Amino acid sequence: MYIQIEPESDIPIYSQVSTQVMEGIIRGELAAGEVLPSVRGLASDLGVNMHTINKSYHDLEAKGVITIVPKSGAVISVAPLKGASKEQTDLLSEKLRPTVVEAMVSGMNDDEIHALVDSIMRNVREMK
Amino acid sequence: MEGIILFLSTLIVSVIQVSIPFLVKRTVVFGVTVPMDHTNHAVIKQSKKRYSLITGVLSLGVLTTFLVWSMSTTPTDVQMALMGTILPMIVIVTSLVLYFYFHVKISKLKKEQSWFEGKKQVKISDLNIRAKDEMLPWYVVSLPILLTIGLMAFTAANYNQFPDQIPVHWGADGQPDAYTDKSVLSVFSLPIILLVLQGMFLGIIELTKRSGIKIRPTNNQASKKRQINLRKYTSWLLLLVSLLLTMLFSFLQAMTLYGNMFGDMMIMLVPLIFMFLTLAGAVVFAIKVGKVDSDLDEVVVTGQDDKVEEYDEDRYWIGGMIYFNKQDPSVLVEKRFGIGMTVNFARPMAYMVLVVPILLILLLSFL
Repeated sequence: MYIQIEPESDIPIYSQVSTQVMEGIIRGELAAGEVLPSVRGLASDLGVNMHTINKSYHDLEAKGVITIVPKSGAVISVAPLKGASKEQTDLLSEKLRPTVVEAMVSGMNDDEIHALVDSIMRNVREMK
Repeated sequence: MEGIILFLSTLIVSVIQVSIPFLVKRTVVFGVTVPMDHTNHAVIKQSKKRYSLITGVLSLGVLTTFLVWSMSTTPTDVQMALMGTILPMIVIVTSLVLYFYFHVKISKLKKEQSWFEGKKQVKISDLNIRAKDEMLPWYVVSLPILLTIGLMAFTAANYNQFPDQIPVHWGADGQPDAYTDKSVLSVFSLPIILLVLQGMFLGIIELTKRSGIKIRPTNNQASKKRQINLRKYTSWLLLLVSLLLTMLFSFLQAMTLYGNMFGDMMIMLVPLIFMFLTLAGAVVFAIKVGKVDSDLDEVVVTGQDDKVEEYDEDRYWIGGMIYFNKQDPSVLVEKRFGIGMTVNFARPMAYMVLVVPILLILLLSFL
């Protein structure tokens, strides 16, 4: 599977990499047990700083998406998708809030916001 | 005989110089990143043709002059060596001047017409690409080192039989023409130099292996193939040169020990064959790497997503030729104008690659 990053984007590169890995898992392109490239390998392939990829892998590990196994590397977790915990839901709500607020204040109604979220989810699942 | 070597090597240098614009990555023109849909721009096509035409005509002139000169006069060895340095230099310097002229020209055009405007510049990477890497493993690349150790054992076993005067330089006819007194160092100098060179090759291959496999979003299949080929054939070429050097050095060492046991003809031919095979290897390397994702590649995949472009990396390339990128952990990257690898000057390791082998060889020759 491909990782695509936009260096000039406002979204930090580490977060772009994390999101792409998670999208790969959702689409089934990355299966449980698969090993991600080494930090140095992915950083050299993309021509970005090793700290950036390191940060991204630790971010993914904190989210429970991958496990960093000494010697093997970053392994996609075996059963990460058993539903979000209470704390995780709270965290997501906190992160989503500014975006939802921005949408509401711009005058979008509930249906439009729901439709937007639906379209993003469709896009994530279908993108190749 | 020297004339033939000089003529052949100048010819090959010229042919490669003339064809470079058509062998490099399609989206880098004279060291300038160009969006995929502008690679067929009239000015770009014209610049490439002019570059090749001028270097081509100049090379022909130089080669003809050389032929006429070497046939009408009887040049001395010194004159021949001088010509052999000057001739390829004329071709290389002129093509460098032309390169910079077109580099500036295309850069200006790109800026004026803002070719990257409205394009989303992205970088991509294939997570599974390292499984498809076809570089030779380290133990295959290390095989010639075993031969060198064998040569050292052979030298040690026959140390007493080596003559009092050890050759240190050989003429164009393959005959030794300079000697030094016998000592452990002088008897072992050939195998030691060989070992240093092989170690250097092994190091370059390992650094290549660790360097990034850089692919483009605008033609990911072709750019992937090119990178895989570049890495694979770099390791093959270095193994070939390493093996050839081992054979040549073993041949010279045996000649020092047993004297002229092979006959004058053989002694003249062996270095020539070595040189010819190395040049042939370099040409095959240039073709194998240069035919994919360049102007020679017939398959053009377009329309993947015309809003997306490869990231414009010109900011990391001084003059379009010298790579300096502090972020990139790669020590070796693909050259922008030429076929092969160049170093990332922002990495301290790059200076090791450039300086250490030279220092070692200098040290050995002064000891």
